[in-house]
Amino acid sequence: MSYNSNSVNISVEAPIENQIQEITYDGTEIYQPPLTLSESLAKFAQKIDFSKSNELDIKKDTDEAFEDNKSDSDSKDAFQSSLWPWDSVRSKLRSALQEVCVLADVLAIAKEKRYLVLDPVQQEAVETKPMVQIYARKKALAGAANVLLTGAERLKTSQNEILRNRQTPDFHIELLRLRQNWRLKKVSNSIIGDLSYRTAGSKFFQSGMFEVTKAEEEEKTSSPPSSPAPGIAQVSKSNSSLRVTVPSELQGVAYIEVLCQKDQEDLCSVNLNLLGSGPPTANPEVHWQQKLEAAQNVLFCKELFNQLAKEAVQLQAPIPHMVVGNQIMATVLPGIQLVIGLCHSATADKKNQQTAPAPSKSDHDHVLEHSLHQLLREVHHKNTHHPFPHPSSAPLGPSKKRYLAGPMAADRHELLEMTHTETLLEQIIKQAQHFFMRMRTEYVLDTIAKEVKDPLISSHWNTLNSPTQSCVKINISTHGYDAVCRTPLVIHVGEKSLKCICRDGKVMHMSYEPQELRDLIFCHINQHQILAVQALAKTMGWQFLGNSNHLGLGSVEPLGNASSCLLGSPNGDRVIAVRCEPQSGVQVSVAHSPRTDFFPSRLVTERKWEHLGGQFRDVRLEKMEGRNFLHKMELLMASLTSNS
Amino acid sequence: MGVTVVQNFPITENRTGPSTIELLTKRISALGAIQQGHFLVDCETYTSVPQLGNPRTVHILHNSEQPATVFSILETENKTIPLATDGLFDLLMIKMANFYTSKKQTKAESKGPRYEIGDFLVKLGTVTVSQNFKGVLVEVEYRPCVVPAMCWELMREFLQGFLGSTAQSAPPLYLQNRMQDIYSPIDTIHQYLEQFTIYRKAPGLRT
Repeated sequence: MSYNSNSVNISVEAPIENQIQEITYDGTEIYQPPLTLSESLAKFAQKIDFSKSNELDIKKDTDEAFEDNKSDSDSKDAFQSSLWPWDSVRSKLRSALQEVCVLADVLAIAKEKRYLVLDPVQQEAVETKPMVQIYARKKALAGAANVLLTGAERLKTSQNEILRNRQTPDFHIELLRLRQNWRLKKVSNSIIGDLSYRTAGSKFFQSGMFEVTKAEEEEKTSSPPSSPAPGIAQVSKSNSSLRVTVPSELQGVAYIEVLCQKDQEDLCSVNLNLLGSGPPTANPEVHWQQKLEAAQNVLFCKELFNQLAKEAVQLQAPIPHMVVGNQIMATVLPGIQLVIGLCHSATADKKNQQTAPAPSKSDHDHVLEHSLHQLLREVHHKNTHHPFPHPSSAPLGPSKKRYLAGPMAADRHELLEMTHTETLLEQIIKQAQHFFMRMRTEYVLDTIAKEVKDPLISSHWNTLNSPTQSCVKINISTHGYDAVCRTPLVIHVGEKSLKCICRDGKVMHMSYEPQELRDLIFCHINQHQILAVQALAKTMGWQFLGNSNHLGLGSVEPLGNASSCLLGSPNGDRVIAVRCEPQSGVQVSVAHSPRTDFFPSRLVTERKWEHLGGQFRDVRLEKMEGRNFLHKMELLMASLTSNS
Repeated sequence: MGVTVVQNFPITENRTGPSTIELLTKRISALGAIQQGHFLVDCETYTSVPQLGNPRTVHILHNSEQPATVFSILETENKTIPLATDGLFDLLMIKMANFYTSKKQTKAESKGPRYEIGDFLVKLGTVTVSQNFKGVLVEVEYRPCVVPAMCWELMREFLQGFLGSTAQSAPPLYLQNRMQDIYSPIDTIHQYLEQFTIYRKAPGLRT
């Protein structure tokens, strides 16, 4: 009846493994011997609980129950007497069969619908009490909340425990931070990092490998109890769960020292330190970030020095560069040497090293430091950034100019020029040369401005300049007479020479000797005085009779030539002669013609001859009133004009 | 880079090529010229295969004065297209061997000594077309100037100074229409191509 063709046979098997009876102390397991078939069947049969179905049977079939109970009790008795263990099973099966048979009969009759009709029985509605439900739910929720709260509490306490035990952040978070700033990779079980500038375009042979390990726990667990009171000590202590191991050759602190020596005497010194910060602590337990940065700095300095040393050996200079130990010496200008040294101190002897360069730090030149720094970076940048556009078929490396050389039909000379590249050392020497040129020019201009009071000399340095070129504008003017005459000069300060563009557009080239510039400025002061007198004469109504910038008369000047001019008063009876010499200064003479009084002599018999011009008499300028030369001249001219 | 004039120097009956070069060398040296290496200008001509339609000719020229450049002149029926390119253009021509085939017999070159005399650059070239000696080409460059009209008179005088009566009184045909333009290296190449074409057509020595 219940059998269906669609049903599937399911075979249930006991696991092959036997049950473990006992585990001995040495770990061996003793298995139970497998049950025999009859034993296992009895076992399964005992597991069947018939009591429930029995009770239901009793309730439903009241008429038959009596007998059944009797038989049950009989069978129970029989079972208890354990005459036949299958008795209860048999009775149960029999009663079940009876029920099924009755049910089948009932169904057969009901199917006919003549004697029996099946009516749906109204099921008694389940009594629902909302309040009870709410309470039940409330209780259940409270229970759940309690579980969650206790769990959270436990997590919190454990977190606090961890924090209290060690001030260090988690290893993995630290590693993540490290990974954000440094290149890391995992090689089998260790983590290897790279701090070299390879990815930035460096081609230095030395690698910058470092290893990342987890700091040992013992150190930290032992350290907090030793210093519980001072909080600062704990902060300075390495509170990192990472340990970074840097190769010994990259440990410590390095910097490039640039010294400019003038015949063994220090002129200035530059300390190149890429960190630019104060001295790093000697504590080997510094934070990994600082440690790695220091190591990277060491690597950079080493590369820079290596490059410079290589170039120093290769360069063919008129005075050969010297490379001794970790020092490079190059001659910048005659008598001035540029000394570039690599200072690398390991952590141990850092303290006594630091005391040595401390006094020279006062001359620290940030510009030279920066340019040295920049030069290598530029090389790195060029290595990785190729100029666009580069065709996919063309090789990488040549400059943009070289790419265009083909289509633009560059000739041999241009191509040869393209192959010439400036080395780092050449560039830094040029910058040092320019530095000296600028310093010398400044010095010359300042001393002249101090020495010469009469025409004022003011110099304006251009703020926009390059490491190898700068420009200064010089104005020579007289106080109070700026509008009358002004002599502007422009001096281009180059690497080994000066170029001066004069007022009249003449271009003068000068060498590195400061005396040449000094002479030039003095010549211009001289020229300024003469020109200013002429300009003043015009405003005073005097006539300009003649001038000569290069006077052939008088004593020979050590530098330049004397210049002179002649001025005539408005009515022509007075003549002023001015002679300017770069060395001895200004001489002024006055002549009257005709003289106010005439005494005939044997040679000059008539008064008319006096119109030809008289004798010149020197004016003692220093005795005259007036702030400066032009003021004196103004007063002189004014007095001579009013007299007539 | 200045203005360049390329001119043929006729070979007289009783002279050979080397002796003509020697004669010119003697003359130019007497003027005070100093030899500065050698030079080479070569020209190879490719013609398009019939499948491409209208016949086209590509002349590939190299000039040692512009060592990084390959010059090419494409001649179609109604126009010529000059092109100055990178050295890689030679490799491109190899790739195009299926469309443009070269005639090995027409490879022309002019090579010889290179002299500097003041602002002038003088090159005495021996012209060979597929290894056969054809004549002598004289190239004179006046470096400070870039407009042919402005220096032609001077150059003519200079040419007459050492070539004698054989120097032409009119500028080269190619330059005649471009006397006022700014001279560029491709103009030199045009002149060489003009000369090479004449050499190729000439059956024997060009006089």
